[in-house]
Amino acid sequence: MELREFFNRDLINLNLAGESKDDILRELIALLALDEKSQAILFKMLKRRENLGSTGIGRGIAIPHCRSLVVNRLRVAFGRKPEGVDFKAIDGQPVRFFFLIVAPPLEVSNQYLPVLGKIAQFAKDPDVVGRLAEIETPDQFLALLEQKAD
Amino acid sequence: MHPQLEILLQIQDLRSQRRELVEGEHFRRMEEEEFHINVEEAVRDLDEKIAEMKAALTPAIRSRFERIDGRGRAVVPVLNGTCYGCFTAVPTSSTGRHGALLTCEHCGSFLYILD
Repeated sequence: MELREFFNRDLINLNLAGESKDDILRELIALLALDEKSQAILFKMLKRRENLGSTGIGRGIAIPHCRSLVVNRLRVAFGRKPEGVDFKAIDGQPVRFFFLIVAPPLEVSNQYLPVLGKIAQFAKDPDVVGRLAEIETPDQFLALLEQKAD
Repeated sequence: MHPQLEILLQIQDLRSQRRELVEGEHFRRMEEEEFHINVEEAVRDLDEKIAEMKAALTPAIRSRFERIDGRGRAVVPVLNGTCYGCFTAVPTSSTGRHGALLTCEHCGSFLYILD
């Protein structure tokens, strides 16, 4: 199982417009193209998860995640806010890169934890932050995922 | 969407989060090590939120929720016309009733149409 399998161009926004944590979460959720009510419920769930402790893991990266009935399979999205926003990250630094992960409560293939782990691992790669800052197109993001999987 | 279904969905999602923290050893470790979560505090917080949400249900729906909850998931998705609580077909006459609070005729679970 590789991260690349879960992403496509439509799930990537390299120029998020939001200026706050809530704005960013809403923009990431919008990439999943769910109906309006489902988006609202998912936003509440992600906010509740953030209230337990920020998913900003440091080095400008956050991994908002939760399980929710509003999706029927594991969904991911990536967003970049070049200027960064205050996400109450562990290191107190603004967050520029966001990986959203949402999974249904029960999954046959149980991919939620492995995908969360892979993204956390990817984020720790010393090279990744610089590369994420430099990419110019969604295809380059996808290529980076492929390259780091090798 | 029926307003009570919205609450039921949130309760179910919060319970999924709670279950994962309490029962999923690897998940709990990841939340602690990568995200620096205090699991005991998080579970307490989730319990409070769940209680708060349950209080927002009407007595009849809360009672039904608690009855079903004892024997399985109280809210389940309907995918391709199938109830994912008992894997039986849900009549299309039911799934077409947008805005209604639907329950499965077989397992009694509250239904959330994902089709």
